[in-house]
Amino acid sequence: MPADPMEAWEQWYGAVSKGWSRAVNGNGNKTAPPDPLSLYQTWLKSVSTVQEQFLRGAGDPQELWKQWLEVTTDFWRKAAEAGGDPTGLMKQWMEMMEETRNRLFAGMPLPADPFTFFKQWYDATNETWSSLVGEVIGTEKFMDVSSEFLKTYASFYATMRRASEEYFRNLQLPTRSDIARVAELIVNLEEKVDQIDSELEDFEDGAGSSLSQLPVALQKLSAVEQLEQRTGSLEQRLERVEGKLDTLLASLDKLAAREEAKPAAPARRTKRKPGTPSQKSAGAASKAES
Amino acid sequence: MDTRDETGHKPGSSFEDALKKYREGMQIILEGAKADTGQTPKEVIWTKNKAKLYHYQPATPVTYPVPILLVYALINRPYVLDLMPGNSLVEFLVGKGFNVYMLDWGTPGDEDKNLSFDNYVLDYIPQAVKKMLRNAHAGEFTLLGYCMGGTMSAMYAALFPGKPLKNLILLTAPIGFTADDMGLFGLWTSEKYFDPDLLADAYGNVPGEVIDSGNRMLKPVTNYVGTYVTMWDRILQNKPMDTWLAMSKWVNDGVPFPGAAFKQWIREFYQQNKLVKGEIKLRGQMVNLTNITCPVLNIAGTKDHICTPPQAEATMRLISSQDKEFYVIDAGHVGLLTGSNARKDLWPKIWRWLEPRSQ
Repeated sequence: MPADPMEAWEQWYGAVSKGWSRAVNGNGNKTAPPDPLSLYQTWLKSVSTVQEQFLRGAGDPQELWKQWLEVTTDFWRKAAEAGGDPTGLMKQWMEMMEETRNRLFAGMPLPADPFTFFKQWYDATNETWSSLVGEVIGTEKFMDVSSEFLKTYASFYATMRRASEEYFRNLQLPTRSDIARVAELIVNLEEKVDQIDSELEDFEDGAGSSLSQLPVALQKLSAVEQLEQRTGSLEQRLERVEGKLDTLLASLDKLAAREEAKPAAPARRTKRKPGTPSQKSAGAASKAES
Repeated sequence: MDTRDETGHKPGSSFEDALKKYREGMQIILEGAKADTGQTPKEVIWTKNKAKLYHYQPATPVTYPVPILLVYALINRPYVLDLMPGNSLVEFLVGKGFNVYMLDWGTPGDEDKNLSFDNYVLDYIPQAVKKMLRNAHAGEFTLLGYCMGGTMSAMYAALFPGKPLKNLILLTAPIGFTADDMGLFGLWTSEKYFDPDLLADAYGNVPGEVIDSGNRMLKPVTNYVGTYVTMWDRILQNKPMDTWLAMSKWVNDGVPFPGAAFKQWIREFYQQNKLVKGEIKLRGQMVNLTNITCPVLNIAGTKDHICTPPQAEATMRLISSQDKEFYVIDAGHVGLLTGSNARKDLWPKIWRWLEPRSQ
């Protein structure tokens, strides 16, 4: 099968035209060149004949369909035999036609209106056609051609686009690119507004969360204040106790001095080791630490 | 009384009827399908550039405290998740008492051609999650990603594991990009034949029609011929057209793919299969899917040719979640999401899976 669809089409058309000429002329000259005009005229004449018969209401419509199908199948068979079938398409087409004819003639009444007939024909041939087309478009050769076409088309489109841009630019008119640039600025601006909006929502959500925690925080604060008050009160009481201790120590010192002045009673006096502070000075140190 | 008109035809006669139907069909072909889609009541609670975050108004009291965030692909419109009344996943979930949000990426302009997955996964989704949680007064959420949105959701889950992400649902999300698993896409996107820079640099943003053509060409006969055969059949047989119109509108309503993201998607995902190798880096951060530990429901369709089942199944081998399930539905990429099969299969499945995990 040729890779180029145009080449395939030409081969197919050539074969069909040759077959058509042979079928119509019946001259058996297989090398006679195809005559597209004659082909068209013959086809047109056939259509006109069928049309006239329909319009006149001549004959049973089902019989007409049968005739049409018979003639068409016969034509394709002759065309295939006469012109060869380099693409293989005609052979498949023939098989499809035969299959359709058999299906339709198997007992199903043939419809009177063209559309219903076409639909039945489509239903009968759809799968064959699909697989046939599927085979063609799924080949590497088809892809080679398509790929080249795509490259050419994309290159052509890009050139056209550049040329149009240049043309409008020379006319001092805004181009699509200019408008796109402005739109891009707007989109970027919108993005910044979105960010601010998002930040505000986060802030709102955060503030909302803080407010919900406020009663707990206030309770904690109250507890801390109470604790501070109690601590202050304790400090005052401690100072008072220290004051009393100082007074006691002073009294004890006086008492000790008085006792030292009395030599007759040394046994009652508490001896202090050298280097150890007196009770008064130890108390003062303790106060300083606190 | 003879009511024939000047052409000799009676009003309501078969000729007039046929003409009317012909006109109807041709109008759809020429002007495109028109349908009221995305009708579940919603409000926009946040916007960023072209993206919007929708909050669907609860039809019933919200019974599940964990909200759901729907993330869709960058291509196509997300209203396929809320196609039309009676045929909407969103409507179904809202009706079951879920608090549903959806991230709509919008239509990128030329100025967005440099947006990449780094922006979408690291900036857009986290900010949308933050807004959603604030709006829903919730601490956790379920992330539901569809198609490429599923791939992005998986990357988000890998980069932001733990709270607030509680559950992850991946709907036809391609994770593995082994060429053999991708069918025709494997061939079409191979480095040998396809250079994403060519298209992205030529267009800036790759047009929706181009992306759509690629998807349609996977089944050209069905998509280019079969669709219209179905249309004419429905018109001529007087069958309801609502669903066909809505789907047709959606299929033809593609959005451009930002150039930088397109390059990344084709090169790093399709051509180099970096996600399963743990080599995707978003703004310097390595995307390691083994970081995902939350409950995961991973859904694929047997007839899906855009994300084949093996592509979706790759997730199961990579994530560390203990609570994980791979569920396969006999449907295609979109058929899985809408229609009578979805009503019977997908939607109840999601609901039943989420129910115990959304308390």
